Amino acid sequence: MSEPDQETQAGSTDETGNSSLIETHVTSDTSVDTQGENPTSVVETRNLSVYYDEEQALDDVNLDIYEQEVTAIIGPSGCGKSTFLRCINRMNDLVEAATIEGELRFRGTDIYGDNVDPVALRRQIGMVFQHPNPFPKSIYDNVAYGLRVQDETVTDEIVETALKRAALWEEVKDQLHTSALDLSGGQQQRLCIARAIAVNPDVLLMDEPASALDPIATSKIEDLIEDLTSEYTVIIVTHNMQQAARISDRTAVFLTGGELVEFDHTTTIFENPADDRVEDYITGKFG
Amino acid sequence: MATESETLQRSGRFQYAEIRGKAFEAILIAATLVGLVALILLFGFMFFDAFGPLSASLEWYLLFFSTLVAPVSAFTLYCRRNPAARTANARASAAVFGGLVLSLAAYIVLRAMSPYGPLVYLITVSSMPLSVAVYGRYTENSYFVGPAMVLAMLLAIVWTFGSEVLLFPLLDAVFGLGNDLLGGVPVLGSVPVPVGRGLLVTAIAVGVPTLALANSVLRRRTSRAGILAVFAVLGLSAAGTAGLDQLIRPILEVLPIWSAYAGVIGLPVTGILALLITRQRGMRAGITAVVAVVGGGLAVVAIASAVSMDPSLWVVLFFGMGVPTAYVVGEAVISDRDGRVGVAGPFVILGGILVGAYLERLLSVTGPDSWVTPTLLTNSWNGLTATEAGAYPSIVGSIMIVSFMALMAFPVGVGAAIYLEEYAPDTGWKGRLTNLVELNIANLAGVPSVVYGLLGLALFQNLLNFAPGLVFSAAATLGFLILPIVIVSAQEALKAVPDSLREASYGMGASRWQTIRSVVLPEAVPGILTGTILALGRAIGETAPLIIIAVPTTTFTTPGGLFSSGAAVPLRIFSASANFAPEYRKGVVAALAIVLLVLMLTMNAIAIVIRNRYQQ
Repeated sequence: MSEPDQETQAGSTDETGNSSLIETHVTSDTSVDTQGENPTSVVETRNLSVYYDEEQALDDVNLDIYEQEVTAIIGPSGCGKSTFLRCINRMNDLVEAATIEGELRFRGTDIYGDNVDPVALRRQIGMVFQHPNPFPKSIYDNVAYGLRVQDETVTDEIVETALKRAALWEEVKDQLHTSALDLSGGQQQRLCIARAIAVNPDVLLMDEPASALDPIATSKIEDLIEDLTSEYTVIIVTHNMQQAARISDRTAVFLTGGELVEFDHTTTIFENPADDRVEDYITGKFG
Repeated sequence: MATESETLQRSGRFQYAEIRGKAFEAILIAATLVGLVALILLFGFMFFDAFGPLSASLEWYLLFFSTLVAPVSAFTLYCRRNPAARTANARASAAVFGGLVLSLAAYIVLRAMSPYGPLVYLITVSSMPLSVAVYGRYTENSYFVGPAMVLAMLLAIVWTFGSEVLLFPLLDAVFGLGNDLLGGVPVLGSVPVPVGRGLLVTAIAVGVPTLALANSVLRRRTSRAGILAVFAVLGLSAAGTAGLDQLIRPILEVLPIWSAYAGVIGLPVTGILALLITRQRGMRAGITAVVAVVGGGLAVVAIASAVSMDPSLWVVLFFGMGVPTAYVVGEAVISDRDGRVGVAGPFVILGGILVGAYLERLLSVTGPDSWVTPTLLTNSWNGLTATEAGAYPSIVGSIMIVSFMALMAFPVGVGAAIYLEEYAPDTGWKGRLTNLVELNIANLAGVPSVVYGLLGLALFQNLLNFAPGLVFSAAATLGFLILPIVIVSAQEALKAVPDSLREASYGMGASRWQTIRSVVLPEAVPGILTGTILALGRAIGETAPLIIIAVPTTTFTTPGGLFSSGAAVPLRIFSASANFAPEYRKGVVAALAIVLLVLMLTMNAIAIVIRNRYQQ
């Protein structure tokens, strides 16, 4: 990845070199490099806690997200999965009641530092939401929106590439200038993915992207996510454990109270979890 | 089995519950009927008093039905079966009748104010932002164009409207000081103050944009034609801005008056048409359209002059009604294969009216004894002979008051609503303050209008020492009155925009301003306009605040501008209802009420048309 890093230019200290040395208490008891790779972490959290007014949503989370992998975040409702995801691109800034403690580093820069502009951050960390939310504009304008707000030149090629990468081009190439709201739910969600990758972000956050879709649309989205890892780091929140098992390289399990219980390779989590509560959750005893 | 089927039969408790339900439904129907009947009675009485339909002969009704009702009904039935034709019909009707009413309104207001002033304002206020837009086309970094256009427009408005109040006294003082100090210098001493201040303002207005332009040209090489165009427009704008009363006005006033009307109405209409056609069919078609429109305008003037009529009204109608109609009809005929018949709709109505009126005169049929007559619309007041009484000054006053009121209240109200919904904090002590402000605004929407009248009286007459009953004071007072309604309804419209859209926009790396401009506002415009319709409807009928700020009930001349004595239709009705002669209280008042309703419905129709365009 030769992505220019705006945050490090903003004046914060560059700690990328140290990041792989810091082991979290969750990952320390399992060997990370079982597959013989040496991944770079893109996002690291250190003692991240989030409160909504008095209520705690995340409790002391330490987690590393590695480059060009799919990291799944699973857990029962209200366990803070979405909160965690929204911390990464500072969407929680829009919730006035939220207070954030601890550190969250994106490529070495503490994104809650004073010099970080959340708008610039969100230009590098794209997001896809639970319900398809295309703008009430044409398909073309939806894809071009990110480029336009970032003052970049919109070309038909960029729009076409983004739509092709989101596996939507063949279905919409003749109706680029009709309203995006005329598409089906699954197509809308793929449009939202195309919209997010049109600006070529570093990380793609997905908040239960398939939960509002039917099985066929879901499988298309899942195939797409696997393709995307060749270029992007994907963090996906899901309540569907099979989905996490199918598409992710690593899985983080959050349990009620916003506690990160276990974080490991997906195969380990699903076949040989260290924590009994994770096993209970995965086998369906609660949640 | 027997007991089970018994419980399914209508008896006992179930029967009682059913009767109770039926009774409730009947009460609701009765309530609806009472409301409907009351409204029908009210409007029926007014309609009878105003139009006197009973006095018309049977032949007149036959004529009425055969020339107007029958063709229009047949056409409507046809359109019901063909949705494309219905859409085309709606568009054509909006162009014809909207254009007609707006042109007439613009014409009578311009006639009252003299069109030269508005023409000067049009040139000065629009040329500055236009020059910025043209300049933006020839630079690479065009992100500044939008804000710069707004800024230039505000500057130009302040410059032209505020120059008499803000700028010129200051300049006069400077020149006076210069004369006192340097009185011996013959050059400065001999320059008359108005010419001097004109020169100074011109220097500022030409100098600043030219310096800015030169700066950017030196940095980046742009095409020579582009630079020349920018210079030409900037120079024109500067000249217009500076020479408001020194340079342009005397030149313009030499021109015949129809050209001033043509400028005020024709320039914006032609500009919009050129933009639309250029965007759809390219530059060549746009130029052709402009040439055709200008040629048509000149032809109208030539014909009107040849039959020795004043071409002013015809020029206004040509640009305000003819050009939009031609555009809509032309577009439908060229590109709308299914719906092109629909554009005939308004012409069926117009033709029916014309043929009917012609036949009525030809066959000398006894029509209804209507009070809504051309006399009522075009005469000034006559308190002694009811048939000679007219409300022309009041109609002009009402249109002026309501349009200036909308111009003042709409931006302020929508701006406040956007701030309160999108920017103001929700939590902490600031959030409580926001809540307090919102609560107060909501309460202000219910304050009696008399109280707003007192506010206007205190502010404009007692504090600022304005003359009583000015158009400006009336428009501002009514603006205060509708401001809370506009704010609250705009807030509701903004609240209705789903948060998921805002999140999507923020998630793409859009700033708050970008999110509001490109996602939130386009979604909220229909709702905002709906609220504004209600507010305008309330304002045009308001009487009490106008009485308090002493808008005259009876005037014989139209208001000559913002700062002259106003007049309004509701006040005309109020005073006519106190007339001793019964025909005033029955006929004239009802006819005036019809005029007021038509004014209100026209405004609502305009707002609905705009709203529907945005909803597509």
